[in-house]
Amino acid sequence: MSENDTIPLHPSSQSDIDEIESLIYAAPSATVLPARPPSPPRATIPISVPVSTAPKPPSPVPPSIPITVVPTAPVNPNTVPSSRVAIASEGFGSAPNTLTEPVWDTVKRDLSRIVSNLKLVVFPNPNREDPGKALRDWDLWGPFFFIVFLGLTLSWSASVRKSEVFAVAFAVLAAGAVILTLNVLLLGGHIIFFQSLSLLGYCLFPLDVGAVICMLKDNVILKIVVVGITLAWSSWAAYPFMSAAVNPRRKALAIYPVFLMYISVGFLIIAID
Amino acid sequence: MDRTQVVEENYANPKTCFFHVLFKGAAVAFYILSALFVNNFVIIFVVTVFLSALDFWVVKNVSGRILVGLRWWNEINDLGESVWKFESLDQESLARMNKKDSWLFWWTLYLTAGAWVVLGIFSLIRFQADYVLVIGVCLTLSVANIIGFTKCRKDAKKQLQQFATQTLANQFTSSLRTAFSVV
Repeated sequence: MSENDTIPLHPSSQSDIDEIESLIYAAPSATVLPARPPSPPRATIPISVPVSTAPKPPSPVPPSIPITVVPTAPVNPNTVPSSRVAIASEGFGSAPNTLTEPVWDTVKRDLSRIVSNLKLVVFPNPNREDPGKALRDWDLWGPFFFIVFLGLTLSWSASVRKSEVFAVAFAVLAAGAVILTLNVLLLGGHIIFFQSLSLLGYCLFPLDVGAVICMLKDNVILKIVVVGITLAWSSWAAYPFMSAAVNPRRKALAIYPVFLMYISVGFLIIAID
Repeated sequence: MDRTQVVEENYANPKTCFFHVLFKGAAVAFYILSALFVNNFVIIFVVTVFLSALDFWVVKNVSGRILVGLRWWNEINDLGESVWKFESLDQESLARMNKKDSWLFWWTLYLTAGAWVVLGIFSLIRFQADYVLVIGVCLTLSVANIIGFTKCRKDAKKQLQQFATQTLANQFTSSLRTAFSVV
C-alpha cells in the first residue's frame, strides 16, 4: 500500500509536520523566490526583486542577492517529494548587469536619491508633517557634501586662518548634528539616529546658499539680510521633523538647540571676512 | 613538472580587488605623504576624507558583493523603525568564492583600520587636533564597514545553521512519511 492518504498520521505528527513546513515557507528575511527545479546556481539571467523589502536599499543593485535559504546538497526530487525548498539561487548573475553597467549609472542613481531627499526636506511638500515618511530613504552623502561645502565656502571667504575655520566649521556642524540628535533622544523623543543626522545635514542647504552669496558679495547689510532669510528657511525645514519626534510639552526644548546651532553658523557666515 | 602540481587559484576578480585596495591605499598614502608636500590642511582634509568616503562606497556596494557575497543596509520600515538588513549568497556560491579574494577583502579592511589607528595615535601625541579630526572621520568609515560586514557574515552563518536544522527535520519527516507509506 503506497497511498499516503489512507494511513492517518498521529494527530500530533500532523501539527509537527505543519509546523516544520511553515518554518520552511516562512524563512525570516528571506526572499520569496518562485520554486524552480534545482538548477545550478549562478544562472546567467537572474533578476529577482525581493518581495519582503521596502523601498530601495542604498545600493545600486535593484535585484538583490538571494538569501541563504537553500540546501545545495543534491536534492533528488524523487526522494524528497514534499520539499519545496528547491529554490535555486541567482548567484551573481545579476551583478554583471550592474557591474557592466557603467559606474556613471550608479553614481546617477545615488545622485538622484540625494536630489529627491533634498526636495523632500527643504522644499514644501505634502509629506513634511509625517517624520516617518519624510526621509524614508535617508542617506548621508547629501549631508556630507553640504557640510564639506559649507566648510569650504567659509574657509574660502576667510582671509586668515583658513584651515582653522574649515576644521572648526566641519567639527561644529558634524558634532552639532550628533548632539542635537542625542538631545531629542534624551528628551524621550522617537527618532532614528541616522535619519535625524541626515535631516539636519540636508537642512544646511539654505545656509550653504547663503554662504555662497555672502562669499560673492561682501556687503554687511546684504549678508545680514541673506543670512536672516536662509536661517529662517533652515529652521522651517527642520521644524516639523524635530517637533513631531518629541511630545508636545517638550517641543521647545527640542527645537531651541537646532535654532541655536543655525544662528551660530549664521554668525560665522556674517563675521567671516 | 612539479610546478604545475601546485594549483594556485588566482584572483577571480582582479579589477574589483584592485579598486577595493585602490581608494584605501590612496587615502592612507595621501595622508602620510601630504604632510611632506602640501601645506594646506583644508586640501589634506577634503581629499583624504573624500577618498575614504569613496572607499566606503566601493567596499559596501561593489567589492562586498563580489568578493565575499555579502551585503548590508539599513531600512526604515512602515512603522518608522530602523531595520538593519543583512544578505548573503547561498551556501554553495559562498563556498565557491575565491579564497584569495575574500582573504584580500578582509585583511585590507582590518589593515586600513589599523593604519588609521596608528596614525591617529601619532597625531594625538603631537596634539594636532585637526589631524585627529581627519583620522576620526576615516576611522569611523572603516569601522562601519568592518562592523557591517562582520555582522552580515555572522548572520549568514546563523541562517545556515538554522537552515541545516530545518533540512534535517524536514528529511526526517519525509522519511517518516515514506516509512508509513510502505506499510
